[in-house]
Amino acid sequence: MVNSRGSRQLGRRAQAAERGGVTEFLALRLGSEIYGVPLTHVREILVAPPLTQVPRAPHDVLGIINVRGHLVTVIDLKRRLGLPDLEPPRKGRVLLVPGPEGELLGLSVDEVLQVYRLSESEIEPAGVLGGNVAEHVAGIGRRDGALLILLSPRALLGGAA
Amino acid sequence: MNESERGKEEFYSEVQELIEGLSRDLLSLDDQEKRKKVEPDLVNDIFRAVHTLKGLAGLFGASRLGVLSHNLEEILDDLRLGRRPLTREAIDLLFKSIDAYGQLLHMEQSQEVDVPPALEQFFQDLSRFVHVSEGPALAPLAEYELDAGLLSVLTEYEEHRLRTNIQQGMSLFRVRTIFKLQTIDEELEQLKSVAKPLGEIITYLPTGGGDSDTIELEVLMASGAPPGQLQKTLGGPLIRIEELARRSSAPAPAPASEEHGHESLAPAKEVDSDPHELRPTPGLQTASLKSVSQTVRVDIRKLDSLMNIVGELAIVRASLARIMERVRGQGALRELGVELHRLHRAFDRHLGQMQDGILEVRMVPIGQIFDRLGRIARQASREAGKQINLVITGAETEVDKLIVEELSDPLMHMVRNAIDHGIEGPEERQRVGKPEQGTIAINAFQKGSHVYLEVEDDGRGMDPARLIETAIQRGFLSEQDSRELSHQDAFALIFLPGFSTKTTVDMLAGRGVGMDVVKTNISRLGGVIDVQSDVGVGTKMTITLPITLAILSALIVHVGGQPFAVPLSSVQEALVFDPANLRTVDNREVMTLRGATLPVARLARLFQMEEQNRGFVVVVAAGSRRLGLVVDYLEGQQDIVIKPLGPSLRQVRGFAGAAQLGDQRVGLVLDSPALVEEILAGEVGKTPLGLRRGMA
Repeated sequence: MVNSRGSRQLGRRAQAAERGGVTEFLALRLGSEIYGVPLTHVREILVAPPLTQVPRAPHDVLGIINVRGHLVTVIDLKRRLGLPDLEPPRKGRVLLVPGPEGELLGLSVDEVLQVYRLSESEIEPAGVLGGNVAEHVAGIGRRDGALLILLSPRALLGGAA
Repeated sequence: MNESERGKEEFYSEVQELIEGLSRDLLSLDDQEKRKKVEPDLVNDIFRAVHTLKGLAGLFGASRLGVLSHNLEEILDDLRLGRRPLTREAIDLLFKSIDAYGQLLHMEQSQEVDVPPALEQFFQDLSRFVHVSEGPALAPLAEYELDAGLLSVLTEYEEHRLRTNIQQGMSLFRVRTIFKLQTIDEELEQLKSVAKPLGEIITYLPTGGGDSDTIELEVLMASGAPPGQLQKTLGGPLIRIEELARRSSAPAPAPASEEHGHESLAPAKEVDSDPHELRPTPGLQTASLKSVSQTVRVDIRKLDSLMNIVGELAIVRASLARIMERVRGQGALRELGVELHRLHRAFDRHLGQMQDGILEVRMVPIGQIFDRLGRIARQASREAGKQINLVITGAETEVDKLIVEELSDPLMHMVRNAIDHGIEGPEERQRVGKPEQGTIAINAFQKGSHVYLEVEDDGRGMDPARLIETAIQRGFLSEQDSRELSHQDAFALIFLPGFSTKTTVDMLAGRGVGMDVVKTNISRLGGVIDVQSDVGVGTKMTITLPITLAILSALIVHVGGQPFAVPLSSVQEALVFDPANLRTVDNREVMTLRGATLPVARLARLFQMEEQNRGFVVVVAAGSRRLGLVVDYLEGQQDIVIKPLGPSLRQVRGFAGAAQLGDQRVGLVLDSPALVEEILAGEVGKTPLGLRRGMA
């Protein structure tokens, strides 16, 4: 769990980086693919706490957790993106991200990897993948041969069920 | 929030409180005027409230509030001094000013500048009224041998009261009494309260008598009681009572005392006689200062966060209990275990007290909203041309502040509906042999951990057959399904959204105006609403509510390996599940409980979870309907702090929220009324009604 000082530092660094034409992305793994979300959108990274299932909730809702006295709805990012649900989460983490209506949402991911600082030249628009790209893909990031699918948090959560 | 904002907030809430108090007083005034028995103290209270409002408005630069208060103050001053009679017109104007205050306050808060035309018109009416004065004939003072000395020291208000009392045929008495200087405030207050039922104290002045520790007072009092009774009630060795002589009546005793009176009254000329300032007695003043300094206004959110802390502490307590059990299991640590046990018990007790304390602070008398209702009822009955008597009982019943706030709209709807559609017009009432004046009774009382609120009218009632007919016409119900509806179900039709439309003004439609909203609001508070109605006799709606939302006792049950909390307020009983007792009726599972049929829902199946044990049935009730919930096992009872689910789970039905149950576990709290609704609505069949109710 990143403590609050840690998350503030994350935020400050991200802001400073963006000013210089560089954006910081948090790289995370879902199944076999690596995704990136803008670091400015990540409030906190949690080790997956005990989860309470919510019957009758939408398919991609894993359940609710208690974060320091507040209830947070956790969304399975793989299900939300329509990815196969294969491995049991072992290094699973929950990212706290701002959702619509001021709600803080949890995104469950298989693993959190590292922070990439990408300059504009290292980011390709989603268009390179052809016409039929999912709305939530904002672009492709490249660094040292690694490939990062950059997610648009707004497209991802805007229609949050 | 900075200082000035906080000051503003304080100002708003203080003005709001004053307006509410004013509204309450006006209702009493209206009532007293009707009975032709207006208490002068009441007019004074109203005058004082407006005076305070004027001062506050000046302090915060709310000029429009100030002008309104100033004009009202003028009128009220005339009223209390008898310079103007208390007419219906004056009372109506005062009532309208309450609404004007409300609007102005709202405009202040939202910083609106433009005064709506209707309000502007009211201001003009008001200021025109201020300048019309009809001086009533002065009552003759000459009847009494009151000397000029006495008259000259009376304030205008006192003189008015004196005249009024003489006009009413009261006799005047002079009461001489000696007070100890140290306790004069209390003794004077006591004298006043004892004297009040018998008459009115016009004024009191020191005689100059008494020694260094005592003071002699002369009290001028008007009363209709015989002197003997006065002596008996007020009497004491230190009190002497004489009746003042009336010129026309039989010769009165003791002219000497008359003279004495003159002498003794003379030195009191320095008494402030500003007609705008009510002379508060020293005793009164200290009393009111005290009450102000002992009251604190608290933002309810602060109480919520305190309650959250209590919730967290309860979890700490549970962990402590587990450690204690472990320590006790180890022989070597026995002594430590005993000590820990004692500590745990003390902790438990104090935590309980703290929880009760916070809950108590949140509690307010439900009467707060009844005052507003009275005003609305008055207005609505005037508009509808019906005579309504609003009878309120149980105003002192205490409920969570948040619930009271949320109740005000639904109650208003219900009262309006009762007036518009329940109570018949005066002619119709006369024809069916009812008293011309209709009665709406609002009754609040507490039973266990619930508050009951009944709104009952003696109007025309609702006919289930007509309701069903209307529902079929509107396409809410198929003719076939309608045959299976009980009376109770038929009344439930009025809660369907859009059940009634304005095009029908027949005797039972119309009722539905806003009733769906009423129901939604009540269920959001964890309450249920029941309807009983008899054609020609009247309608009674009963709202059942939990006393508080902050914390609730719950039965913790397990389904599919996960804990769920069932609010204890909805649980009737829990029993061991016997599969042999289960029957299927029309594809629904039911069981027999003490000879009655109980619909049953297997929670695991309903929630699509794995049924592990299905060992128990928890019987829950919503209003008059019951449902058995089959669960795996019962864990026990626990107090929980309920938290709402986030917006992302808003459309998930059947849960009222979630609560932390200890060990970091979060348990969902079942919304029993919604589940009962859902399951029982299904029984009606897959009719539009069933579907609607299932979804609602």
